[in-house]
Amino acid sequence: MTTSDENHHGAGMPRQEPEPSPISLLEAIRRHGRVWGDLAAQYGVTNPDPPWKVNLEATCDALSAEACALPLLERRAAEDDLSETIYSDVPQPERQLLTLAHTMIQRGLVDEDELGRRMKEVYSRLTSA
Amino acid sequence: MSDKHKEDEHGHRPPAPMVDEVSDFEVLEMAVRELAIEKGLFSAEDHRRWTEYVHSLGPLPAARLVAKAWLDPAYKKLAVADGVKASLEVGVDWINSPPTGFGTPSDYCNLRVLEDTPKVKHVVVCTLCSCYPRPILGNSPEWYRTPNYRRRLVRWPRQVLAEFGLQLPPDVEIRVADSNQKTRYIVLPTRPAGTEGWTEDQLAEIVTRDCLIGVAVPKPGIKANAKRTVHPAVHPVHHDH
Repeated sequence: MTTSDENHHGAGMPRQEPEPSPISLLEAIRRHGRVWGDLAAQYGVTNPDPPWKVNLEATCDALSAEACALPLLERRAAEDDLSETIYSDVPQPERQLLTLAHTMIQRGLVDEDELGRRMKEVYSRLTSA
Repeated sequence: MSDKHKEDEHGHRPPAPMVDEVSDFEVLEMAVRELAIEKGLFSAEDHRRWTEYVHSLGPLPAARLVAKAWLDPAYKKLAVADGVKASLEVGVDWINSPPTGFGTPSDYCNLRVLEDTPKVKHVVVCTLCSCYPRPILGNSPEWYRTPNYRRRLVRWPRQVLAEFGLQLPPDVEIRVADSNQKTRYIVLPTRPAGTEGWTEDQLAEIVTRDCLIGVAVPKPGIKANAKRTVHPAVHPVHHDH
């Protein structure tokens, strides 16, 4: 995407940023996943945030603070870029979750296939009771 | 509250409604967390400590700091001179608090309290990412994290504040404080008229999160933040990675 003040970034050359590429696993969730706002309205729940949000925040903090696997500043920069492009139509905190997973896959911290497999396991566990 | 939430004749409350559906997002969150633990990016114990910490956060300590400062000139002096020390009196220990015990990387232990006057209005931003005084003010609102707010506030503070509904007279100077990893800010707004004789609890109720960021001012009767619609930037500017 071309920026509006591109000529200020050096030598009069326009700066071109590559559009982030969608990741198919996450793209499917973006398209078909039900966001908390819809679920809460359907079930009459008044809590503005999904119960998993606090775990997500803790994961982001732990990734930055413990082994520095994903420093806060880098995660936030990636979140800015992804939030304005491929996840722009996703509300919070679902967007934060998608951008975190996207960044972790991009950086090789997790693999898309293993994340997909783990999601299936988690889903079976949560729905087996 | 609707009738279905009222107590029955035995004094029992029916259970609050729950979402009876597993969403893809809930599953994704768990899967990411489990894999991160398995790969040693953090431990389950690390995550438990951070979860406890995140649960404990909220804007109440900052609201109480402001209310105390309005009532006690000596405390106000302390708050402006040494925000970290003043925070202790509202239960926030920036230096020794969990989870790390020495100020976390994202919540570094240097709080500054910015005192408004009738002619000077402060407002807080983080132009780089979304640094925020979490230990005393809780998690940042979505709009605070948007590039739109972060980029525009420093360029056009008066116009941006007007978009929040805060129309300031031309003779009021606006000072924008840009947070960073080491220094976090909260605003100490001027005490509004009509609050004479109020208790600390009453005053704290009108010091909302938005007043503490500086995009609103306290008003008697206003105890909640206004709902904000988040707009994407028209001409987004990308980071240099």
